Amino acid sequence: MPEREQIHQYLKDLSKYLSRLDKFNADEVIREIESHILDAIELQEQNGHQIDAQAILDGFGEPRALANQYVEHMLKGTAPPRGFKAIQSVKKGVTKSLYYSMGLFGFGISLFLILIGLGKLFMPDAIGVWSAAQGNSVIITFSEHAYPNSTELLGYWLIPIAIVIGIGTALLTKRVLAVLKQSLL
Amino acid sequence: MTKQENLNEKWDVQLRKGTLELVILAALKERRLYGLELLKLLHSFETMKITEGTLYPLMDRLKRDELVSALWHQEGESRPRKYYQLAQKGEQKLTLLTNRWRQSVEEIEYIIQNPGPQAIKKKGE
Repeated sequence: MPEREQIHQYLKDLSKYLSRLDKFNADEVIREIESHILDAIELQEQNGHQIDAQAILDGFGEPRALANQYVEHMLKGTAPPRGFKAIQSVKKGVTKSLYYSMGLFGFGISLFLILIGLGKLFMPDAIGVWSAAQGNSVIITFSEHAYPNSTELLGYWLIPIAIVIGIGTALLTKRVLAVLKQSLL
Repeated sequence: MTKQENLNEKWDVQLRKGTLELVILAALKERRLYGLELLKLLHSFETMKITEGTLYPLMDRLKRDELVSALWHQEGESRPRKYYQLAQKGEQKLTLLTNRWRQSVEEIEYIIQNPGPQAIKKKGE
């Protein structure tokens, strides 16, 4: 096989096995290895040796094994959020529907909390957290009238608390999704 | 390959597993090298002959750990090459690993120099 074709085939195979990485990272790896191969060939020529592309490619090993080394440490990069170690086993069986459901659920709760916080600012009497009388329930409600026979909890403290928890939930969801995404790539 | 060469190679492989990061960081101290240059530098030492397939993924990991920085650079008419140099975090790690390495060498040497049958005394006693 001519040298050029041999190198092209190697890089093509390597690119295939690097497909779990994002395009930027995969292209960067290919670019550097191609640059090395061309430099090494140039060096063989300068030293008056016969060009032996196979010997250079042998130094890199099988494309799959080489790609695995990159993929292993690159995909290990995003650590799961603290307290979410169990996600390591969940992510092995992650599916697209789980990924999107998780996103919808997490960001949905986050949006809900932030809207409650902001809503309390503009409609303080209609939005709030009430403790129902004669019961053990706490009600978060959006209502024209205050919940009957109940005591409002938190008052205006609901605004910062809901917004902070909402933002926190969004950030946590983002990190969890980043971990899950690795298994989808 | 003779039995002795085989043993040497096995020993080199084992030792390199633990020391390669130190060697690469030390090789890059106050130097800016691209992959092939670094590989040639290592190959000029008998016990440091690693393959391209070991070097490049390791360089990528060191870069991700922010121990080295990498930059594509084109010199004159030559094609662009990715140059590596030590990052600040790499300098600090190199100092730590160098101290640890020197201590290990000293302690191994001490044990070699103090055979039995009498019990080995702690250094400095």
